[in-house]
Amino acid sequence: MNLDELKKLKEKAQRQVALREGNKKYRVVFSMGTSGIAAGAREIMTAMLDEIDKRGIENVEVAVTGEIGLVDAEPVIRIEDRSGEKVTYANVNADAARKIVAEHLQKGKVVDGLAVGKTKEAERTK
Amino acid sequence: MFDQLSLNILDIGMNSLAAGATVVRITVIEDVPHDQLLIRIRDNGRGMDEKTLRDVLAKNASTKAGRKKPIGLGLALLRQTSEMCDGAFRIQSAPGKGTGVTASMRLSHVDRPPLGDLNATIFALCAVNQDADVQLHYRSGDQKFHFSSQEGKHNEPRRTQETQGKGAAAGCAA
Ligand SMILES: Nc1ncnc2c1ncn2[C@@H]1O[C@H](COP(=O)(O)OP(=O)(O)OP(=O)(O)O)[C@@H](O)[C@H]1O
Ligand SMILES: [Mg+2]
Repeated sequence: MNLDELKKLKEKAQRQVALREGNKKYRVVFSMGTSGIAAGAREIMTAMLDEIDKRGIENVEVAVTGEIGLVDAEPVIRIEDRSGEKVTYANVNADAARKIVAEHLQKGKVVDGLAVGKTKEAERTK
Repeated sequence: MFDQLSLNILDIGMNSLAAGATVVRITVIEDVPHDQLLIRIRDNGRGMDEKTLRDVLAKNASTKAGRKKPIGLGLALLRQTSEMCDGAFRIQSAPGKGTGVTASMRLSHVDRPPLGDLNATIFALCAVNQDADVQLHYRSGDQKFHFSSQEGKHNEPRRTQETQGKGAAAGCAA
């Protein structure tokens, strides 16, 4: 435990998040309930924010939800764009998280094979 | 389910943010002479009324929307770990007064999970809500520090020098 390291991390969190307040192109929603955290959501979020930072992507905001409705496929993230389009990624690991940043958030390309489709379905069955 | 206590702390801290807290104060004290570990997560969120708190304690009730079964895991897991490690678990909460979750453990208990990456937990809470004041009060032997995610942010050089008494943090409902 080290206070200096924490302060640096805080600045990083603030810098990363401050960049993406407001009406951004993408909104990344992390499933951060107990099951998401147990499956590794904290590490996924850390990896994604780090990759977003490294690539200097600014058009993204971050949010969390307690549940996305895919408890068996955690870690789950959902990417929403301004048009209301939602893409859900399930069973995400750190490599996948970085790939999603590079492909989806930077180039606007859905990562096939990782995306499990639109969440509207999952939401309806809640 | 969690192999690091810092994941429990993140989970309980997420409850606080979900309850609309603007101050989340995490206290971690490793008291080696007394062989005790104390973890407390205190917030100024909306709190729970008596019935909700009773249901949470008695049957792990959850008020999360969209649950097939209204059962919550977060508090139950921390309680289980704390009781398994010869500690005590307590929730204090009232509407409008915020919530405090306290878990103690025997530091040397064989089943006690390590704290793990507490920094990553604080980082995640800060990233989730950059307006909330996420605080960490940490003490282990001679090492002691207070962290606040809002310190210096509004030009207020707020230096916390000493360990404060219960509920004394600025803006944190006692
Ligand atoms: N800090 C808090 N402030 C207000 N209410 C809380 C707080 N923490 C917990 N609660 C209430 O207690 C319930 C149970 O919490 P618990 O963490 O055990 O489960 P959950 O958050 O509902 O779901 P899970 O943790 O499994 O994702 C919550 O649904 C909420 O109603
Ligand atoms: Mg919870």
